[in-house]
Amino acid sequence: MADILVKQLVKRFGKVEAVSNVSLQIADGEFLVLLGPSGCGKSTILRVVAGLEDADSGEIVIGGRLVNFIDPVKRNVAMVFQNYALYPHMTVYKNVAFPLQIAKKPKAEIEASVKRAAGILGLEELLQRLPGQLSGGQRQRVALARAIVREPDAFLMDEPLSNLDAQLRLQTRLELIQLHQRLGITTMYVTHDQVEAMTMGHRIAVMSEGVLQQIGTPQDVYRRPANVFVATFLGAPPMNLIGGTLESVDGGWRFRGENVDVPLSAEVLSPPELEHEIEASGDVQFGLRPEHFRVGAPGEDGGIAGQVRFLEPVGSDLYLTVEAGGATLQVRTDPDSPLQQGDNLSLHFDASRVHVFGADGHNLRRDAPPVASAAALAPTIS
Amino acid sequence: MADPGLTVEAAADTSPHASEYSRAARRNRFFRLGKGLAAYIVLAVFAVIAIGPFLYLLSPSFRKSYELFSYPPQWIPKTFYTGNFATILHETSYLRWGLNTAIFTVSVTLITLVIDTLAGYAFARLRFPGKTVLFALVLATLMIPTAVLIAPLYIMISHLPGWTHSGVNTFPGMILPMVASPLGVFMMRQFISTLPEALVEAARLDGASEWQIFRKIVLPLMKPAIVVLGIFTFMFQWVNFLWPLVITTTDDMKTLTVGVASLQGQFVTNWGVISAAAVMTMVPVIIIFLVFQRWFVQASMAGALKQ
Repeated sequence: MADILVKQLVKRFGKVEAVSNVSLQIADGEFLVLLGPSGCGKSTILRVVAGLEDADSGEIVIGGRLVNFIDPVKRNVAMVFQNYALYPHMTVYKNVAFPLQIAKKPKAEIEASVKRAAGILGLEELLQRLPGQLSGGQRQRVALARAIVREPDAFLMDEPLSNLDAQLRLQTRLELIQLHQRLGITTMYVTHDQVEAMTMGHRIAVMSEGVLQQIGTPQDVYRRPANVFVATFLGAPPMNLIGGTLESVDGGWRFRGENVDVPLSAEVLSPPELEHEIEASGDVQFGLRPEHFRVGAPGEDGGIAGQVRFLEPVGSDLYLTVEAGGATLQVRTDPDSPLQQGDNLSLHFDASRVHVFGADGHNLRRDAPPVASAAALAPTIS
Repeated sequence: MADPGLTVEAAADTSPHASEYSRAARRNRFFRLGKGLAAYIVLAVFAVIAIGPFLYLLSPSFRKSYELFSYPPQWIPKTFYTGNFATILHETSYLRWGLNTAIFTVSVTLITLVIDTLAGYAFARLRFPGKTVLFALVLATLMIPTAVLIAPLYIMISHLPGWTHSGVNTFPGMILPMVASPLGVFMMRQFISTLPEALVEAARLDGASEWQIFRKIVLPLMKPAIVVLGIFTFMFQWVNFLWPLVITTTDDMKTLTVGVASLQGQFVTNWGVISAAAVMTMVPVIIIFLVFQRWFVQASMAGALKQ
């Protein structure tokens, strides 16, 4: 097993810069998730680490060894592809044994390794089947077995669950978590699914348009998003944003939007005389997650007046679309709420949960994380 | 529990739309019958056009030559005369021509398959400078008519440097210019391009060299395409006339097409014998096609199905 260091990686495809100066480090045994929308560069980083693409600049270090100019097989990393990439003309046994046969291992050793991997992943009964005779989940386990037999220093997984249906995805996610706990192999996992990212990773690296936005534990990234992109990408429904301005009043800050006037506690923003970088009348965005609103009776003191536009019951929760404060807000409330479409209400919230994003999109909260590159190279595993 | 008396038919009988249903069902039956009949008629016309010449050839091969010009013309002979076939086999070098054709066709097919699949893989999966230009050049050679190449090829083969004798009337001289077809290279390249890139990448990560990737991963998946290319090459070379005509001058090196053509006399032609020779020449090709025809369907469907 080994740690992985990506230092100031740049990768271009023609004129398009797919990865722009990304630096991150994965500690030995850590499970890091690269999360982002399609086309953000996360798969490109994975492929550069694997050796399937060459970096235009930057360093890739695996286990203390610079691997930029080393063949993929000699990097000793194993990759699980989105479509599994099983050899369709070979049985499960031969698929799993293939890397060992290429390495000219003795037959007895190959057999033992294949059976061990099959035992870990529950494939003993399927060894003589062809990939075409397997379900999606079984194929995915065969792909994992083929990766395990190589006893790699690291796993690289490129959206391995995206081709599975919802129920199977949940089951396989749990199996992957258990597998990682059992084997403890350093893992770089790419996905666009935030649920996978939140539940599987020790840390999440959020990417957008080739740039690393934030890296941290799932709770850190969710509770203290570094910028508007991270705040709205994580969370379903996404964080509500209301445009307005900040004003310095009586030694504190107030957010003023259309029909919204909210005092901000010192917990969120430092007193004005200490915040040199915040201009008093600059345009900002006020952010609050749907679950941090409390629905109150219409006209209740201290709340923002609003009206229900739509209701979306999802069983365990009720999501309201509310017109309030000149904005359309998503609010999560009790599924047994008697509210109907068109009802008036007031929205209340805990001021300490508020986020304020500057004109450049960065989170202005006192406890907002630092710039991505600095945090990226100082990982910890909780 | 459902009412056992309420069957579909009973329900149809009691339905207010029953008579409309039966009229619509009758119309639907006639329409489907009509469509099927029309399809069969069209197919039959094309089948007659395709098979007609072969059937037309079959008749004279079983008749004596003087009977061919009888009036009124008879399609089906009253007696089946096999003397034409005996004449071909015993009084001409047909068997030698057959052997020459088999050696020529099989050799060209095998070498073409090797070269075209390797070239197709290189163009599809390898990265090297000038790949695009080189592939364009290969395709550009398709625009050159074969007849234009015959003379320069003959000159090259008859004056090969390092050979102690001319390549004319030799198997290497006959075979080598016909191997490596640009169409075959294009076909293999296109087929290999449809194979998921991830398979090749997975094999690379598993430590396979390019040769191992080609041999163990790509080649087994190319069977339908290889069989199709093999059949096309075999069929084309089996009936190749122009090049064997030019490169062979002795009777013992002729191929079947050249040999059968040489049976036509300057003043007198035994059409029965020539027809019999032509029929015998076509039989191996027909057998090959019938045996391997299912691979054509596999090859054409390979790109249509999602893996």
